[in-house]
Amino acid sequence: MQFRRTGRGRLLLLAFLVLSLVVITLDFRSGVDGPLETAKDISTTIVAPIQRGVTTVFRPVGNFFSSLGDLSTLRADNEELREQVTELSTQIEQAEAIQAENARLHEILDLDESYTTMDRVTATVIADIPNNYRWAVRIDRGSNDGIETDMAVVAPEGLVGKIISVQPDSSIVLLLIDPGAAAHSRIKEKGFVGTVRGNGADQTLSMIGIHPEANVKEGDEVVTAGYDLAIFPPSIPVGEVVSAVGEGADVEQDIEVEPWVDFNSLDFVQVLLESGPRLETEPQKDRGGNR
Amino acid sequence: MSQTEARVPGFLAEVGFSRIIAVGLVVLTALTLQTTVLARLTLLGVIPQLVLVVVIALAWLEGEKVGVTAGFFGGLLLDLQLPPASIVGLTALVYTFVGYGVGYFRQYSVGESVWSPVLAVAVGSMVAEWGYAFLAILLGRAWVSLSFTAKVTGLVVLYDALLTPFIYPLVRRVSERFRPERVYR
Repeated sequence: MQFRRTGRGRLLLLAFLVLSLVVITLDFRSGVDGPLETAKDISTTIVAPIQRGVTTVFRPVGNFFSSLGDLSTLRADNEELREQVTELSTQIEQAEAIQAENARLHEILDLDESYTTMDRVTATVIADIPNNYRWAVRIDRGSNDGIETDMAVVAPEGLVGKIISVQPDSSIVLLLIDPGAAAHSRIKEKGFVGTVRGNGADQTLSMIGIHPEANVKEGDEVVTAGYDLAIFPPSIPVGEVVSAVGEGADVEQDIEVEPWVDFNSLDFVQVLLESGPRLETEPQKDRGGNR
Repeated sequence: MSQTEARVPGFLAEVGFSRIIAVGLVVLTALTLQTTVLARLTLLGVIPQLVLVVVIALAWLEGEKVGVTAGFFGGLLLDLQLPPASIVGLTALVYTFVGYGVGYFRQYSVGESVWSPVLAVAVGSMVAEWGYAFLAILLGRAWVSLSFTAKVTGLVVLYDALLTPFIYPLVRRVSERFRPERVYR
């Protein structure tokens, strides 16, 4: 191979390095409505539909290949599922009656609304954040569906995270495993509260700020604590304590929590439309910098 | 192809309009795959940096000018996908540098070994990951520990290098198809 060398390469390098620095400076200095937000909106508008398409096409393919081995058991599965459908339909009817009664009692007692009865939007995860230092996903619902920043996002297994950025037809969910995410939480049986923080993918969550007398043990369940400080509604399952070092000492225990949600294979999530900050919120943002 | 492009003045004429479109589409495809399919095919939780692999392949095939341009725009597109409170422009900065470096150093590569692009991707990925982490720490946005960065870097280098034998021939085919004859050969 033979290459023609000109001075243009170095000039281009210089130009793009300066341009990058300008972008970084803009990002640091501008607020929520800066030119970079416009650029983000534009790039999202272009990329999100492509991501949605690719996800729609490839996810069933992936499922198809992983389910090829199950063909032989399909008929039996089918029968079993039919039975379950009948059984569950009855249960749903009963549950609905109980839910209605529960809602009425809540009203009478003037309690905070439980997250289980909140209006919600089900969304499909269409993309993951392409970076190994942040943990967030893009979902296919946005402000057109009533989603706003700071709303809680759940999966059937428990807490997923919160909305941190909203576009008309998509939004970004900051996952609980992100080191910038935090949830005001409670040890379910004992009532002691603390903060659960993320440590990145495939890592356990840390729970900090728990009173030394809590004597947290392995197997204790952790749920969200509710509104006094945090944005999440109370009693959303978070995970299970898998390690609690320093029990009985006068200092805070070192607590690790295994989340119940499998953050590696999120396909569908639900956004709780009636959640959000009741009071000014706490730490999430201070580790995130200037915004 | 070159008939019409020869009349377009300046930069466009030299690079070739259809070539810009082709390279742009390659980078956009890489971005889409990295955020959807590959984001689920992680290696011990680590996402491969396909956009970087494509940028390095382009720089290796086309030289530092294309490398630096693809690096900047590819990096910027990635940055714009990140959630708030990430540093927009940082990936662009790092990829610009890597694109130039790979384009510059390829002239010292002797012969046409199959391994040289793989080596370029491995070294480029390592520089990019450490550069990103280092600058993020400097700018006060260190999300994770150094040991985590070391783990991520190792896995990204491995995963990117593994992808290269599949990605590089594809990029080369596009690159050869759209290469203007008056600049090279």
